[in-house]
Amino acid sequence: MREAIPAEKPYFLASLREWIFTTDHKKIGIMYFVTSYIFFLVAGLFGLVIRAEQTQPGFQFVSPEFYNYLLTGHGAVMLLWWAIAAHIGGFGNFLLPLMIGARDVAFPRLNAFSFWSFFGASLLVLLTLIPGNHIKMMWTGYPPYSATGDAGPTALYVFIIHLIGISSIAGAVNFITTYIKMRAPGIGFWNTNMFVHCLIGANVIQLIGVPSLAGAVTMLLLDKYLGTNFYNPAKGGDPLLYQNVFWFYSHPVVYVQVLPIFGFFSEILPTFARRPLFGYTSMVFAVWGIVFLSFEVWIHHMFVSGVPDWARVIMSYTTILIAVPTGVKIFNWLGTLHGGAIILRTPMLYALGGIFMFLIGGLTGIPNAMVAIDLGISDSLFIVGHFHYVLAMAVTLGILAAITFWYPKATGRMFPEGLGKLSFWLIFAGANLLFFFQMVVGMLGNPRRYPDYPAIPEWIMLHQIQTVGGVILGIGVLVFTIAMIKGLKGEKAPANPWQSPSLEWRIDSPAPANNFGDKPPKVEPDYHPYKYGAPPAF
Amino acid sequence: MEQQVFALPAAWWFDAVKVWLTVAVVIYAVTAIPGILFIMKYRYKPGEREIGDHEREGHWGLEAAWTIIPTIIVLFLATYSFTVFKLQRTPPKDAMTIKVYGFMWGFQTDYLDENGKVIKTVYSFYKPDNYNAAENEKIVVPAGKPVKALLTSKDVIHSFYVMPARITEDMVPGRITHLWFQINKPGEYWIFCREFCGTGHSHMFAKLKVVPQEEFTAWLRGDSNGLARKKAETKESL
Repeated sequence: MREAIPAEKPYFLASLREWIFTTDHKKIGIMYFVTSYIFFLVAGLFGLVIRAEQTQPGFQFVSPEFYNYLLTGHGAVMLLWWAIAAHIGGFGNFLLPLMIGARDVAFPRLNAFSFWSFFGASLLVLLTLIPGNHIKMMWTGYPPYSATGDAGPTALYVFIIHLIGISSIAGAVNFITTYIKMRAPGIGFWNTNMFVHCLIGANVIQLIGVPSLAGAVTMLLLDKYLGTNFYNPAKGGDPLLYQNVFWFYSHPVVYVQVLPIFGFFSEILPTFARRPLFGYTSMVFAVWGIVFLSFEVWIHHMFVSGVPDWARVIMSYTTILIAVPTGVKIFNWLGTLHGGAIILRTPMLYALGGIFMFLIGGLTGIPNAMVAIDLGISDSLFIVGHFHYVLAMAVTLGILAAITFWYPKATGRMFPEGLGKLSFWLIFAGANLLFFFQMVVGMLGNPRRYPDYPAIPEWIMLHQIQTVGGVILGIGVLVFTIAMIKGLKGEKAPANPWQSPSLEWRIDSPAPANNFGDKPPKVEPDYHPYKYGAPPAF
Repeated sequence: MEQQVFALPAAWWFDAVKVWLTVAVVIYAVTAIPGILFIMKYRYKPGEREIGDHEREGHWGLEAAWTIIPTIIVLFLATYSFTVFKLQRTPPKDAMTIKVYGFMWGFQTDYLDENGKVIKTVYSFYKPDNYNAAENEKIVVPAGKPVKALLTSKDVIHSFYVMPARITEDMVPGRITHLWFQINKPGEYWIFCREFCGTGHSHMFAKLKVVPQEEFTAWLRGDSNGLARKKAETKESL
């Protein structure tokens, strides 16, 4: 196969032209990651303003219109950039071919196309920063509100979703094909890295789900600009149609976001416990159990939306059953710790922090599945706190763990250990203060998406604690970012700093332009990615 | 004396929350405590513990246990929640019916007579910068009587959250949804819109005024402003 542009130099020496025209999975992965990290910082800043506004009742810093824009931007960018593009686009691209011993993904040009349509969506997001273009309908964009003038430019939102959807579908086709067709001889289903299993599971969800979301927003576009009536009750349409079609994708997307994180935990824990992953087989079954169940639960986002009671009860059962495969994963990680020789390096700290926070995220998900409790907490700040435990804590800590873990492979340098640990403790403490008390104030009744609230003394106090947490979290992310940049000039990394038997560590750091060379790597007959032979030297 | 329940379905809701919280705390403890102990105990020590156990890569008994036991627990929780849900969704036979419309941004509450004719309407309007409701903007209901609210919207989707009763239902244009509640203690309570509905969302609220039955009947018959004025006058004269 001919490359669109020859890649002979290691990528950090590549010219700008080479970066732009590259079809190399590692360069594309890094471009995905850098783009989403920048968006993560911006959306995080949005989050801090949102947090600051709620410190006191009344409007202090921003108008309600601008607040709604900040919320929309924070939600959409964190969900679609940080929690999907960073690990699926970024780490998925970088690691998938390396972990299965392939030269590149199956369709390198399609991969470049995926990135550039994602990049196009990013540029459209930047357009919303212009005051006249503020989208203010939340990332969910429920009609009929999103079809009114108050909501901002709905068309822009729809095109962003279309572009990112095209990127996701192309990426999913590419990854699934790569995994099926391009494994090095010796790599089979039962000795694939857990990250790859999780990544492929997530991409199966993407492939099935994204067309549903694209359909929902396309009907929205037609309704608002061309006068169709899919969601217009006055003409026989139904606004709940949107919610159904929207959540049919947008709930499974939670597992798209969190499955690769489970993959990261399953890679990092064995490495730093110096022992094989406990219950590998049941882990694989759990991944596919989650993928299967994820499409049977979307009504739990609509428990108070007026859908029939029987639908709520059925989806209450299916939703709560997801706790089982998720629990299996957590227990297996504990099993991995048992009998290990644990080394608490930065990636391990982040991974353990992420698992413990995911446990809280999972347990606080149960009342949302129990339809009786949900009637009292739906659309309150409890929900916001709960999904931040999953997304802002488990997912973010997971991605940060992955950054610190594979940093040597991507940059050829070690991640600064001291700053890494400091950032972990800051982020961990800050995020817990913020999101725990967010759940408490939500249980007391505080509705979500409120820039202002009545001056109820307990609410004010709980919001102030959250703001303190938010500031600490912000400082933690800043420290991490500084460490990540400083590390580029830091200590040189060996090929296999963690002495992992996994394939991606058998090549130089940073990964050479042609991965394993001309031939696929030799995989020994009893290869398993978690077989640690020698005592660690780090 | 029987402990008086403050509000329904909130009483059942609080019970359900307690059940969940107990289960969650227990699961957290049996998971997190061993986790932390393992991290402390199985620490890497040069010369002593340099490599983890490579013998036990899984244990079918354990793995089956932590699949089956959680399944039983969550099925119990879902079934328990189902029984509460039935109570929450079934208004008692003697419930009084009101109709509430959401609009951008406020609530319109219609009170009906026995034939379903509207006899009184209360508008709770949006206040862009405060949470004060005028006396004639308060939704008045009798204490100790179940109230069934039929909900719909005049424009976009809103929701009707009766905070003391811990119950929410969306107000969807083109659909009639419902919820019911009963507050036993007279007083003033919050009602909020919890479904995002635009600029005025955070100030789309109403005050729920719970009064004794006789006072409610008088209020429903008479002019609410007149009643309020009379009250104010009597207060002044005192």
